[in-house]
Amino acid sequence: MNPANYLYLSAILFSLGAVGVLVRRNAIVMFMCVELMLNACNLAFVSFARINGNLDGQVIAFFVMVVAAAEVVVGLAIIMTIFRTRRSASVDEANLLKY
Amino acid sequence: MSSLLAAASFDVPTIEYGQLSPMLIIFGVAVLSLLVEAFAPRGSRRPIQLVLVFAGLAAAFAAVVMIRGTQHIAAMGSVAVDGPALFMQGAILVLAFIAALVMAERQVDPLGDAFAPRASALPGSTDEIAFTRLGWLQTEVWPLFLFSVGGMLLFPASADLLTMFVALEVVSLPLYIMAGLARRRRLLSQEAALKYFVLGAFSSAFFLYGTALFYGYAGSVDLSAISDALTANAGSMWLVITATGLVSVGLLFKIGAVPFHQWTPDVYQGSPTPVTGFMAACTKIAAFGALLRIMYVALGGIRWDWRPMMYVIAALTMIVGTLFALTQTDMKRMLAYSSIAQAGFMLVGVIATNQAGLSGTMVYLVAYGIATIGAFAIVTLVRDSTGEASHLSQWAGLGRKAPIVASAFALFLLAFAGIPLTSGFTGKFAVFTAGIAGGATPVVIIGLVASAVAAFFYVRVIVLMFFNEPTSDDGVSVVVPSGFTTLAITISVALTLVIGLVPQLILDLANQAGLFIR
Amino acid sequence: MSVLLATIEQSGSTGEQIVFWVCAAIAVVGAVGMLISRRAVHSALFIAATMIALAVLYVSQGAPFLGMAQIVVYTGAVMMLFLFVLMLVGVDSTESLVETLKGQRIAGLALALGFAVLLFAAIGNVSYNFAVGIDGANAADGGNVQGIAHLIFDRYLLAFEVTSALLITAALGAMVLAHRERHTPRKSQREQSEDRVRSGEPQNLPGPGVYALHNAVGTPGLLPDGQPTDRSVPEPLRGVSAAVGVDHEDTRRVNALAAGGAIIPGKAEDES
Repeated sequence: MNPANYLYLSAILFSLGAVGVLVRRNAIVMFMCVELMLNACNLAFVSFARINGNLDGQVIAFFVMVVAAAEVVVGLAIIMTIFRTRRSASVDEANLLKY
Repeated sequence: MSSLLAAASFDVPTIEYGQLSPMLIIFGVAVLSLLVEAFAPRGSRRPIQLVLVFAGLAAAFAAVVMIRGTQHIAAMGSVAVDGPALFMQGAILVLAFIAALVMAERQVDPLGDAFAPRASALPGSTDEIAFTRLGWLQTEVWPLFLFSVGGMLLFPASADLLTMFVALEVVSLPLYIMAGLARRRRLLSQEAALKYFVLGAFSSAFFLYGTALFYGYAGSVDLSAISDALTANAGSMWLVITATGLVSVGLLFKIGAVPFHQWTPDVYQGSPTPVTGFMAACTKIAAFGALLRIMYVALGGIRWDWRPMMYVIAALTMIVGTLFALTQTDMKRMLAYSSIAQAGFMLVGVIATNQAGLSGTMVYLVAYGIATIGAFAIVTLVRDSTGEASHLSQWAGLGRKAPIVASAFALFLLAFAGIPLTSGFTGKFAVFTAGIAGGATPVVIIGLVASAVAAFFYVRVIVLMFFNEPTSDDGVSVVVPSGFTTLAITISVALTLVIGLVPQLILDLANQAGLFIR
Repeated sequence: MSVLLATIEQSGSTGEQIVFWVCAAIAVVGAVGMLISRRAVHSALFIAATMIALAVLYVSQGAPFLGMAQIVVYTGAVMMLFLFVLMLVGVDSTESLVETLKGQRIAGLALALGFAVLLFAAIGNVSYNFAVGIDGANAADGGNVQGIAHLIFDRYLLAFEVTSALLITAALGAMVLAHRERHTPRKSQREQSEDRVRSGEPQNLPGPGVYALHNAVGTPGLLPDGQPTDRSVPEPLRGVSAAVGVDHEDTRRVNALAAGGAIIPGKAEDES
């Protein structure tokens, strides 16, 4: 089993997440795409931990999970606030700030 | 059985509490201020919070002064306590102190402070009106503010990329929330929070993937280990270059460099103005500190590979920031684009990759930060009946209405423009000379042209304030603030002048800070 | 593709290969599914599948603790939180797939494709091997969990402590943004009934406006004489009509209809 396969998979997932943030208009879905990117990072960390033969990568992945959990709480709270005032989670309708 | 043996062999980690004391004090006070929110009666929260915040910032600053001269990697290799880190921690604490003064202001808005009485009440609802009438304040901003400051102290001092990532999030999460708490124009403010959040989370994912590639390359996320691996020239350069690019994206986003700057004007405009000043000044110092540390400590050995990329970004940032600032009609957006352009000038110091570049960038950061907080503090004072009057046309003739405030604002603008005898000149001079010494002459030339163009729009605002007739009965007036904002503006003016007139003081301080330890 | 085929041939453990290809397929299908579903709920379910597939890959790579944490934290907590919010927001909401910024989708795809190529080039330029493997590291402290614990409480102790600041911030932020406080003390049932009788109007408040055009609580009900009354609207919603969808134009029309004696709107009014 070539270790690079895991890394290719993580690169594919990371890019798919990036596409999602760029093309989707629903704030909640955009945020899910960011979560996918973080998951792809974790896969890379775990695979590199195996390649390097130390546990640091796994520990970092663990920290990323903690950070992601905190980020989700804040992000969804902000999205809920916006939704409660304007009944929409589409970023297109959040367009008062135009230049 | 084996687990018992392993447990027995565990050594207690050494934590240098003294050397970490600045951030430990701030985090400790943040937890205290959270407890105040939980247990103190509503009426007494604000005074207790203010005492805690200012005492905490002062104590942390005293701690920084006490441990000056330390050169040590503390906390099992997580934190580098060295000259530049302490210089930036001190600068962040001073600027946070001034920013906190502006945030504490309660007199300029007849309805209360700059924050929504309750962020959970719908804008315009009867609930909100009731909360406003009762005079309730969202004092939870203070623990959020302190957590953010604590993260900023850790960010430029992180000695490994994991600590840096966690610090980045500790800086950002409270700011995302605070950006959405404005009392006036709440929809705008909530939108700013959403934009800041989505783009911030997006960019930190890039930072993280870069960290993963560095880990794959070096087998460790310690900056010194990455540097060692580069010296040993092990593995693939492709991996390192990609990793460098990804990590830089994350940091350049926080700095607001082109092409990762799109959030800046929206977020600066939508956030409560005192928070805008805080994040424009302090976040920039922390993020530049982290960028400098990565580029100098971990990637100093391959600077010939990343410098071309930074050349392009610095030049683009200066040009785009300056050109867009010219076309703005809103004061906060103009200051936002001006801060983008300033980030470009500071990047020249990063490119220099020498001791002068490091100290020059630090001096520039301090000069810029002080003028920025002062300028945004003045923006909070110019108001009409609906809140801040931030349209440029409303500033016409301000010099007649309020000569002192207008003069202070003009001073800050001159500092941004880098006119001699102001702090901005000291900073620009230090950065540009370092850039030439470091062999970045073309970028310095672009920087000089950009500053000349930038001076035009700063001077345009000064002309608008002093030589234009005020438009009659537009209801714009300069309100008289309480001691908090007055003190903040006074300190900013004084420091801007001192750094401009006696530049040697801060230049010596920055030079004594020396280089990063590895 | 030839790279991938070549790797199948040179690889060692067939069991891991099968697990990898199955889980990789699920993960990619989940990610693509998330990307193209119109409904946010479907996206959430797709990404949950991806996360479970990744958990399996963690376990198969010698990270059993992370595999479990992935399932508990990501699928168990994070995705449930997403689903909660989606249910609050309205599970039926679909997203218009019409592009608002012209060419944005193509540009986004092109950017990400270029980015993927860049990452592939970066990763593919290195020859990796699992010669070292994770087993040695896992065994050093007596197990995977012990090894991770050792690092967290030793080398990464400070980062671990600082994450507590993150968790506090998250809890505080959610409270600030979402927790609604009462500004007046809650009335007891007795006080409420006394107030009601004293008000001279002990009967129920008028019901919400349920007529041909609307049936939302934000729509004012009609009194017997055909006049709309704000008192049927819950107090926090009064005066924020734009935010909750009360259409005063409709109210005016219904009012006009009621005044004219026609309770059921005619065809002309239906067209709006």
